[in-house]
Amino acid sequence: MSKFRDELTRLAVAERDKREGSVLSNPGMHFPWLQERIETVVTGGKKKRDFTQTTSVCLSFIQEALLKHRWQQAADYMHSYLQTLEDSDTFKRQAAPEIIWKLGSEILFYHPKSNVETFNNFADRMKNIGVLNYLKISLQHALYLLHHGMLEDANRNLTDAEAWRYGEKSSSQEVLINLVQAYKGLLQYYTWSKKKKELSELDEDDYAYTAKSQNMLSQSCKTSASISALLKTPGVWDPFVKSYVEILHGIVPSHPLMLEFHMMLRKSETEEHQKLGLGVLFEFLDFAGCTKNITAWKYLAKYLKQTLMESHPAWVEEEWKSRRNWWPAFHFSFFWAKSDWKADADLAYEKAFVAGILLGKGCRYFRYILKQDHKTLKKKIKRMKKSVKKYSIVNPGVRT
Amino acid sequence: MDFPRSLRPSLFMTGPLGMTDGPDLSFMCSWRDALTMPGSQPPNCEDPTVPLVRNLLWEPTTPGPLPLLPPDPDPWEPGMTPQDLLFRGGHRYQFRPQVGLDVTEQLSRFLWDHGDIAFAPLGRLMLENFRLEGNKGYSKKMTIVSVKRLLQDLGGHQPWGQVASEKAAMDRPGWWCPWAFLSRRLRRFSILGGPVLSRSVSMLLGRLLHEELALRWEQLLLDEAFTGGALAWLPGRTARVGQLVYPSGDFQEVSVNSGGNPRVFEDPGHIQLRGPVRQVVTSTVQGETLLAVRSDYHCAMWKTDKQGPPAPLKVLQVEKGATGVSLRCWPLDKDKVLEEGLGCWILTQHPVSCSPHLPGEMAICSRSGTVCLWTPQDGLQLVYKDPETLVFRDPSPWRWADFTAHPRVLTVGDRTGVKMVDIQGPPGCGLLLFRAGAEAACQKGERVLLAQYLGQPGTACTPLHLICTQFSIYLMDERLPLVPMLKWDHGLQSSPLFARLLPPASPGFPRPLLLGGQGGQLQLLHITGEGPSMPQLAGPPQSLPSVVDSLSAFPPLEPRRQQQLQERLEAPVIGLAAAPPCASVPALLLFQLSAAGDVFYQHLRLRSASGLGEGSPDHPAPEGPAPKATAPMDQSSWTPQASARCSRWAEALMELSPTCPVWAAPTFSHRRFLGHMEQQKSQPMSQKLRAAMAKGQLLRPEDLGTLPRAEPPPAPQCSQQDELTERLAESWENGVAAWWKGHRGQTSGSQTQTKRPKRRTQLSSTFSSLTSYLDIPDTSSPSCSQNLSTSEARPQPPRTQPSQELTQELWTESVQRERQQTLQDMAKLPLQKDTPGPVATPPSQASSLRAMPLRRQAPVLSGSHPPRKKSRMGF
Repeated sequence: MSKFRDELTRLAVAERDKREGSVLSNPGMHFPWLQERIETVVTGGKKKRDFTQTTSVCLSFIQEALLKHRWQQAADYMHSYLQTLEDSDTFKRQAAPEIIWKLGSEILFYHPKSNVETFNNFADRMKNIGVLNYLKISLQHALYLLHHGMLEDANRNLTDAEAWRYGEKSSSQEVLINLVQAYKGLLQYYTWSKKKKELSELDEDDYAYTAKSQNMLSQSCKTSASISALLKTPGVWDPFVKSYVEILHGIVPSHPLMLEFHMMLRKSETEEHQKLGLGVLFEFLDFAGCTKNITAWKYLAKYLKQTLMESHPAWVEEEWKSRRNWWPAFHFSFFWAKSDWKADADLAYEKAFVAGILLGKGCRYFRYILKQDHKTLKKKIKRMKKSVKKYSIVNPGVRT
Repeated sequence: MDFPRSLRPSLFMTGPLGMTDGPDLSFMCSWRDALTMPGSQPPNCEDPTVPLVRNLLWEPTTPGPLPLLPPDPDPWEPGMTPQDLLFRGGHRYQFRPQVGLDVTEQLSRFLWDHGDIAFAPLGRLMLENFRLEGNKGYSKKMTIVSVKRLLQDLGGHQPWGQVASEKAAMDRPGWWCPWAFLSRRLRRFSILGGPVLSRSVSMLLGRLLHEELALRWEQLLLDEAFTGGALAWLPGRTARVGQLVYPSGDFQEVSVNSGGNPRVFEDPGHIQLRGPVRQVVTSTVQGETLLAVRSDYHCAMWKTDKQGPPAPLKVLQVEKGATGVSLRCWPLDKDKVLEEGLGCWILTQHPVSCSPHLPGEMAICSRSGTVCLWTPQDGLQLVYKDPETLVFRDPSPWRWADFTAHPRVLTVGDRTGVKMVDIQGPPGCGLLLFRAGAEAACQKGERVLLAQYLGQPGTACTPLHLICTQFSIYLMDERLPLVPMLKWDHGLQSSPLFARLLPPASPGFPRPLLLGGQGGQLQLLHITGEGPSMPQLAGPPQSLPSVVDSLSAFPPLEPRRQQQLQERLEAPVIGLAAAPPCASVPALLLFQLSAAGDVFYQHLRLRSASGLGEGSPDHPAPEGPAPKATAPMDQSSWTPQASARCSRWAEALMELSPTCPVWAAPTFSHRRFLGHMEQQKSQPMSQKLRAAMAKGQLLRPEDLGTLPRAEPPPAPQCSQQDELTERLAESWENGVAAWWKGHRGQTSGSQTQTKRPKRRTQLSSTFSSLTSYLDIPDTSSPSCSQNLSTSEARPQPPRTQPSQELTQELWTESVQRERQQTLQDMAKLPLQKDTPGPVATPPSQASSLRAMPLRRQAPVLSGSHPPRKKSRMGF
């Protein structure tokens, strides 16, 4: 039955799409505003019934009221809109419950006088009107309860949803049931972690401890069972999988963990790793969001000096080659020299060191910092001048 | 650049768009985003929910935008409308109206209006005389037609005046020419030449015309030329002063006073540009503000100082050569001219974007899929080239390019997706950032309309990209591609081609994201989430008034002028800019540029009385201290200053030369007519006729004084069986019910006739009972009291669990019961209205109704006009 209905709906949609697309020159593209434009012109065809007209106007009024945050007005219009449940157009009648749910839940969420009871009543009614939406509505209902801190109610709701079946189990239903189970698992995890916290406050020899730990164990078993079904489905399940950062830092060079990675590489014995350590720093500083990271600049200044002292100028040259044409303007412009010095003299010092090494002592950034008079940094700057003179990869005399 | 601590759970599905079997998890509810799961909270945080800013609203201070500058003096005509392009009428009894381009009418209009172009080449082929085939017995006089005489005849009968050359006149299709009967010669020619002329012309022109019409229609649905917008705001010396850059007046300095009203400085700066400006982009890097402008064949860049006019940096001109296309760029001193050949380009529209990282860098892309980076040191540099679309084949040549958080990584976009390309890497390599497909749960037919990098230079904010389609907007984090961080169905009724992300009103507040549709619709989204928290909507999005909403502020004009004004206000929007809010003044100033060249502004004030982190939702604040939420500012009325401004603007508009050319009466050759008439009719009549014709007026019967007295129209016949009269009489004597009963018994012939009103009354009784319920609060049951917490006392129907054992009848019955209960459920809300009484349209709504065009006002809500419905499903 449900399959047959799905099939019918799909056919109707396909038919409609075919007709709408007939006039377009880009055949694949759909415009939500196409129908409105056409309706201003085409007078042929079946005349729209009053019912259809009032319903569609009412829908647009509700949407407008929602976007203007006039919740009371939207609720008033919602009264009249409920007539769409009796539309003689099968396609529209089937789509109606979902639209009503979307609009109604939005109104009830924001309406200043609505409360949890009102929402519960509405959700319970709506779950049974368009049965196909049961799972979606249950899930959203549970989220609403979670949002209001009613974890137990949410859990009950999810349990109900988990047991629900309608017709043959379609793949979309399966995914939703997985999701329902996962959220349930998450709630269980939450209680588990709460118990764990309580447990840590108890004495190990206590009688209560044994009971509680037993309880906790069974809880964690349940949780993992609930979550594992969902994790087999591809998706973003962050709340369910906590260790996602470990996976990510390997592929994202701007991640703060990259600095730790650099330190690890630096301590490594192999030359390959030490070379990579330099690359990691350069890559990190490529990103616009990391330009003010003093740690990175400090590491780079130190490591550049070390690398050049150990006479590996080729490593530096290799990294510098691709950045030669844009790092000077990106990091070492006169503007940054002034604003960095003003904002953070230590940062300016580290950057000046790097600039001196990479661009030579003629570089404007380096010269600007050199000229500044600073009590605490005076000695450091002097030392920097010496190092730059000794290790800069740019021949003296060539200015940028 | 911290990672979001936890991402929203979502399914990852692969596949083409619209074909996903799985559910779309973005249920189009704005509050879903505010939910954070308890497990993902930091351990020290007890409250499992993130406070949602419920009353966050940028409130417009006027009901609509006001004109900033006097109307643009350049003549402007509203472009094509669907009426001009689509075939009107169609087959009846069709489920949905079939639409098609109206080539026939366009062709016939073209032949009429530009007959000289259509037929002149054929006319020129004609010899001095031509011979008509006919019976051999006919004399030469009958079969030979002199072209000269033909032309003379035609010369006097041009419907468009005597302007066109006589030769051109002859080339008209005589086939259905209304003047063809005037001379026998012409008639013969018309019959003979008609088929030949019309066929050859329609064959030649028809295809071209169809192509052109299809293009225009597509443009009407989506005009991609202005993607990105041709209006920009350049920050000035202080936070409240800046410059507006727009195509016609170019650099207009604007300051915002404390009341939030903009003040326009005299004497705007000008930049001479050839060709219409399509896009204006600004970016502030390292204290320098750069401005890039794109027209059809030029890209140019300026550097602006805090004081003084902008200084031009570079102009790139795209020239079409004989063989292929070469691109020439030169510094403005024109001392040295660089020439670079970049292979075969088809450059007509090339979106530009300014680098947020390095001063003076600009990305340009062409319609053929070539992306170039222009840098001050190296000039133009080919970065990416691929004539194919990214994800699947799509005919649109639209391409887009922008920057990312890494200065050497660009995004390249087309209608099917957006890719990140590292320009230092080997050519062609890259990573898809967005894909029109199942990953982002795209609908069928969904295409990318705009891609924009939302990151700010230098700051450690999340590197977000905005992707706009016809249906939704997506926020993508470039470190976590393909699965959107946020999806919102915007529901705009035109293509969203403009977007601006503005800084927050004060630290900690959500950032306003403005979304502008080409039809003038504006939406404002509150985006929150920086660093470790993921981007989300901080409150329900809101819509802002569009330019047409200001129509009520203008003085009433005579109908033609009123229409002119309305058309002007309805002109498509081609640019959107905003003066950002600052800490001292939490106000926003929006600017919109219309295709007619007019700039409108709208002042918005932040209303978030209850603020961030107001009591958690299950402990709602007591009724008293939240008056700001329930008493919105009166936006429905115009201030006298605003009205004065509008009327001045309207006056200035009316003083401009009328856009449509003055209609001139056609000249006729009236020699023949009059000669014939003069013999029959009296002298004064012919004189009057002659005078009227010379003036191009109609000769009315009264003018001749021979008007026969018209009979009065027949009065409606009053039958004895007039129901209305009967019913009125009965109701006067309070006997309607009895009359109705009797009447029903009298007329109940068929069952359907009785059933329908019964069903109707059933339904409306549901409504009317609700209404009466509404009218009398707290009379009988405690559930009607103002306090909602007692709602448990309300009568509750037994919960029905749907089960498969239910028979169909039972099921429908339960559905019906459920529905009625739902109706009542929804009805409970207005119960809490402070003022008991019938639901009244608020004044603002009424005003918006007034401002609406007539055709949208026509349908009436079911409250006042019960719909005639055909019942099904047990109703």
